Amino acid sequence: MIEVRRLKKSIRNGARTVDILKGIDLHVPAGQFVAIMGASGSGKSTLLGLLAGLDAPTEGEVFIDGTSIGGMPEDALAQVRGRKIGFVFQSYQLIPTLTAFENVLLPHELNSRGDGKARARMLLESVGLGDRMHHYPVQLSGGEQQRVALARAFVVEPPIVLADEPTGNLDSVNGQHVLDLLVDRNRGVKNTLVLVTHDQQIADRADRTILLRDGLVVSDSIKAQV
Amino acid sequence: MATGVVVSPPPSAPPLPVEVKRGSLSWSSAAKIAVRELRNSRAKFAFVILSVAIGVAALIGVRGFSESFQKTLLAEARTIMSADLSARMFRQPTDEEERQLRALTATGTQRTVVTEMVSMASATNDPVPLLVSLKAIDPAVYPLYGAVELSTAENTQTTDLKRVLTDSTVVVGEDLLIRLHLHVGDMLKVGNQTYRIAATVLREPDRMSSQMGLGPRVLISRQGLERSGLLQRGSRSGERMLFKLNSQRDDIATARARLEKILPDAQVTDFRETSPALTEGLNRSTGLLSLICLVAMVLGAIGVAMAMRAHLQQRIEILAIMKSIGARSSDILRIYLFQTLLLGLIGGLLGVVLGLGVEWVFPLVLGKLLPMRPPLHLPLRSAVGGLGTGVLTTLLFCLPPLLEIRKVRPSLVLRREVEEAAGARGAWLERIREKVRESKLQWLSMLVIVAALGGIATGLSDSGAVGRWFAAGLCSALLVTLGLSALLLQVLRMFLARTRLRLPSATRHALANLYRPGNQSSAVLAALGLGVMLILAVFLLQRGVVREMKTDADPSTPNVFLIDISTQEIAGLQTLLARQQGIRGKLDTLPIISSRIASVDGVAADHLKVRNFPRRLLQSVTLTWSDELPAGSKLVTGQWWKSTDASSLAVAEHAAQRLQLHVGSKVVFDAGDRTIPVTVVATYKNDGQHIYGRSEFILPPGPLQGLPVVWYGAVHIDTAKVATMQRAVFAAYPTVTVINIADILETLEGFVGQITIVVRFLAGFSMLSGAVILASSVASTRFRRIREVVVLKTLGATRGYVARVFSVEFVVLGLLAGLVGAIFANLLARVLMHQLNVTYYVEWPATFLAVVGTAALAVITGWIASFRILGQKPLEILREQ
Repeated sequence: MIEVRRLKKSIRNGARTVDILKGIDLHVPAGQFVAIMGASGSGKSTLLGLLAGLDAPTEGEVFIDGTSIGGMPEDALAQVRGRKIGFVFQSYQLIPTLTAFENVLLPHELNSRGDGKARARMLLESVGLGDRMHHYPVQLSGGEQQRVALARAFVVEPPIVLADEPTGNLDSVNGQHVLDLLVDRNRGVKNTLVLVTHDQQIADRADRTILLRDGLVVSDSIKAQV
Repeated sequence: MATGVVVSPPPSAPPLPVEVKRGSLSWSSAAKIAVRELRNSRAKFAFVILSVAIGVAALIGVRGFSESFQKTLLAEARTIMSADLSARMFRQPTDEEERQLRALTATGTQRTVVTEMVSMASATNDPVPLLVSLKAIDPAVYPLYGAVELSTAENTQTTDLKRVLTDSTVVVGEDLLIRLHLHVGDMLKVGNQTYRIAATVLREPDRMSSQMGLGPRVLISRQGLERSGLLQRGSRSGERMLFKLNSQRDDIATARARLEKILPDAQVTDFRETSPALTEGLNRSTGLLSLICLVAMVLGAIGVAMAMRAHLQQRIEILAIMKSIGARSSDILRIYLFQTLLLGLIGGLLGVVLGLGVEWVFPLVLGKLLPMRPPLHLPLRSAVGGLGTGVLTTLLFCLPPLLEIRKVRPSLVLRREVEEAAGARGAWLERIREKVRESKLQWLSMLVIVAALGGIATGLSDSGAVGRWFAAGLCSALLVTLGLSALLLQVLRMFLARTRLRLPSATRHALANLYRPGNQSSAVLAALGLGVMLILAVFLLQRGVVREMKTDADPSTPNVFLIDISTQEIAGLQTLLARQQGIRGKLDTLPIISSRIASVDGVAADHLKVRNFPRRLLQSVTLTWSDELPAGSKLVTGQWWKSTDASSLAVAEHAAQRLQLHVGSKVVFDAGDRTIPVTVVATYKNDGQHIYGRSEFILPPGPLQGLPVVWYGAVHIDTAKVATMQRAVFAAYPTVTVINIADILETLEGFVGQITIVVRFLAGFSMLSGAVILASSVASTRFRRIREVVVLKTLGATRGYVARVFSVEFVVLGLLAGLVGAIFANLLARVLMHQLNVTYYVEWPATFLAVVGTAALAVITGWIASFRILGQKPLEILREQ
C-alpha cells in the first residue's frame, strides 16, 4: 500500500525555484495497477522517484505500507527499497560489468538471506532468457535487457513495482512482451504496480489512471472491476 | 544511406551543385563553446589545471632551484683551486703566447699569476735561516674565487688581502712564527730584503692545489718578490696562471682546450680535478636533479591525459549530438583542441607562479643548511620555458584522448550502449589486432609523444646521457607498462571467470568493475604504474647516489699532511701522534724518492713529445712503492703486480695521458746514481683524498731498495685538535712541515652534505607532487561511478556495500599498479645508476612500501573523490539520464 499526502517538490534552478509537484494526495491500495500519465515535464517521473524514496520531497509525506519514509536514514531507506520496491527504468540501468544472471541475483544478495541463485535462474527462464544468463548487458538487445531488468525487479518478490516508461525504448513487439510480463505478475502475485507512461494503450490495461498536469493531479479514474 | 534511390529535382528548381562546399566551425565559435564548457564544469577542470600547474611548478621550481644550487656549489668548488682553470709552467710565456692570452682576457676572462718557489727566510735578529714555501701573488686580483683568511696583529680576522699585503709586507703561516720565535709585526728577511709580517694565514683557499712545498708558507706580493732579488734567471720557481671564466659565455671544457693550445707545455688543470669526489658528486646530482625535473613534467602530463580522457568520455553523448547535427570530427577537435590549449595555458601560468614561489621559498626554508639566497630577478627564461613545456606536454598527452573523438558515432544519440559494445568479445589476440588496426593514428600519436618527450628531456636535462636514457627508458616503460597492465587485467579476468559466483558479492562486483566499458581501468593502471615507477625510480636513485657520496666522503679521510719526514723520524712521529687527542686511525705514510725520467720507450727525455706537461717536471718526478693498489685508488687499465721485485710501474691516469704512457710503455728513471728501467703495467685513478694521491709513479718496493727516502705522512685529526698537534710536532720534529687541509676537507664534506640535502629535498618534493597528480588520475574516474551508485542504491544497496565494492576495486587497482611500477622502477634505476656509475642494490622495504603505498593512495584518493557520490540523491542523476 502506498499513501501520499500533500506531496510537493521544488528544485532550484539558479536564482529561480521551479515547482515540479505542487501538492499531491494519493492512495494506492495493495495489488492495484496504476498508470500515471501526463505531458513531458508534468512531474510523472519525479512522483515515481519520490514514491521509491530516491529523493526527498520538499513538503508532504510518502507512506509505504503505513510507514513514512520521509526522514529515514539513507541506509534504512535503501533497505526499504531493496525489500519492498522493484524499480524498472526506461533505459534498463543494468550494471554493465555483471552478467545477466549476476544482475538479477544482485538485489537478492543485497537484501535477502539464503541462496537466490535458483530463483534468479527461474526468473530469467520465465522472461525467456534461460539461454542468455551468462551474457553481459552489452551482448543483449534492448528488449532482452529490459526483460533482465524485470527479472531483477522481481527477484526479491517486492510488494511494489515502480516502472518508469519501461517500454519507452522498445519496439512494439518487445514493448508488448515486457508489459505482459509486468501485468501478469501484477495479476498473479497481486503486487502493486505503478507505471509511468505516455502510451494510452498501456494505460488502458491499468486498474486506475492518474493524469498529471503542471505538478497537480487533474484526473484520477478507476476502471470498473470486471 | 539512400543508395540507389535517385530523386530528380522538379524542372523549375535550380540544379543542385554537384559538390557542395561545406563550411567548418570557425575558431571563434569553437573558442566560445570551449570556454562555455570550461565555465560550466569548473570543478572537473580543476583536476586538469592542478595537474598541469603542479607539473610546471615542480619543473620550474625544481629546475630553477637545482640550477642555482649547482651554480652556488660550483662557485664554492672553484675556491679549492681559487680559479676555473690553472696553467702551471716553469717559464715566462713567449710574446706570441702572451698576445693570445691577452686576447683571451679581452673576452672577459680574468687572469692572475701565482709564482711559487722554495726559499730561505730568517728573522732579522737571528741569522739561522728556515726553508719556506714562498708564494707571490697579486693581492688586487688573487684569489679569483674564495678568500684568504688572515689574522692581523690586533688578532682580528680579515679577508682584505689587498690592504694587508703590500710591497713591503708578507703574511706567513703560524708555524713560521713558532719556529723563528717571531710575532706579527716583526720583520722577516727574504732574499736580500726585509718585510714586515702583517698577518698570519688562517686559510688559503687553493692550499690543496698548490704544490706541496717544503717549509712554512710565506705569502708575498708580486712586486715584493721582485724586490727580493730571488727571481733570477734559472731560479727554481714555478708559475701558476689562474683564470676565471666569463660564466655567461664560456664553457670550461672549451676554455681548457683553448688554453692547452695556447700553452702546449703548461700543465693545465680545471677546478673539476681538484676534488674528484666533489666533482663526481656534482655530476651525479646533476644527473639526478635533471631526472627529477623530467619526472615532475611527465607526472604532470599523465595527470592531464587522465583528466582529459575522463572529461571527453563524459562528453561522448554531447559529441554524438553534435555529430548527428552535422559536425565533423575536425570541428569537434577544434573545440577540444582549443579547450586543451586553454587548460594548458591556465595550468601553466598557475604553475609558473607556484614554481617561482617554490624557487623563492626553498632557499628560505633551507637557508640554514645551504649557502643560498632566493633569486633576485624574475627568471624569465625558465618561466617561459616552463610554460611552453607545460602547454606542449598538455597538448601532446591529450592527443590520444582527442583522437578518440573520431570514433564517437552519432548513433549514440539513440542508444548509448552501442559504443560500449565495441570490442567486448572474441579472442583477446584478435581484439588486440583489431585495436591496433582501429587506432593507427593513436599509435602514431604515441610515437610523436615519445619523440617530443625525448626532445624536451634532452633540452631540459643538463646531463645529455640522462636525457637520452630517460626518453628511451620512458618509451619502453610506457609500452611495457601498458602491456603488463593489460596482461595482469587479463589474468585477473580469467581468475574472475573461474571463480565468479563463488566470490562474495561485493568482491565479485568490485573485480568486475575493473572491466568497466571504456576500459578506464587499464589506462588508470598504466598511468598509476608509470607514476609509481617514476617516483620509486627517483627514490632509488636518490638513495644510491647519496649512499655513494657518503662512502666517497669518508670522515676518516686524512686532513693533515706531514711533509719531509726522515726514515729515522717515522717511528717516533707515529708514537707522538698516537698520544695526541682527536686522531682517527693511524698515520698513513708514503715513501718518496726523488728521481727524473731519463727516457720513455727509448726516446730520451729531451726529445719526448709530451702533452701539457712542463718539460722541466721530467727532471723532478717523485717515485714511491707499494705492494698493492693503494687505498683510494682504482685501477683504470692493466693489472697490479704480484712480485715485489718486478720491474713494473703504475702511473696515475692524468700523468699517463700527459706523458702519453700506456700499458707496455718502457720508462727509464734515474734516481741518485741508479738507473731504473721499468714497464708500465697499470694505470690508476686516485680520489685525491688519500696520501697516495700525492704520487704519480708507483713501483714495487724491490727496484727502489737502498735509495734515499723521505716520507710524507697523512692522518685524520679532529679539526679542533689540529693546532695542538701542530705545536707538538713542531716541538719534537722541527724539520717536519705540517700542512693542514682540515678546513678545506670540512668544506668538501659540507658540499656533500648540501648535495645530499638538496637531492633528498627535491626528490621528496617531486614524489609528493607526483602523488597529488596520481591522486587526481584516480579521482578522474569518479564521474563514471555516479550512475552505478545510483542504480545500486535503487536496488537497495547500503552505503556500506557500495563502500566495500569501491574499496576492493581501488585496492586491487593500486596493488596491480604498484606491482607494475615497482618492477619497472627497479629496472630503470638499475640502468640509470649504471650510467651514473653508482652501485645498484634491491631496496626491498622501499619496493614493498611502494606497492602497499600505491594501494593506500588509490583507496584514499579514490574515496576522497567518490565520497560525495555516496550522498548523491539518485533522482537527480536519473533525471539526467
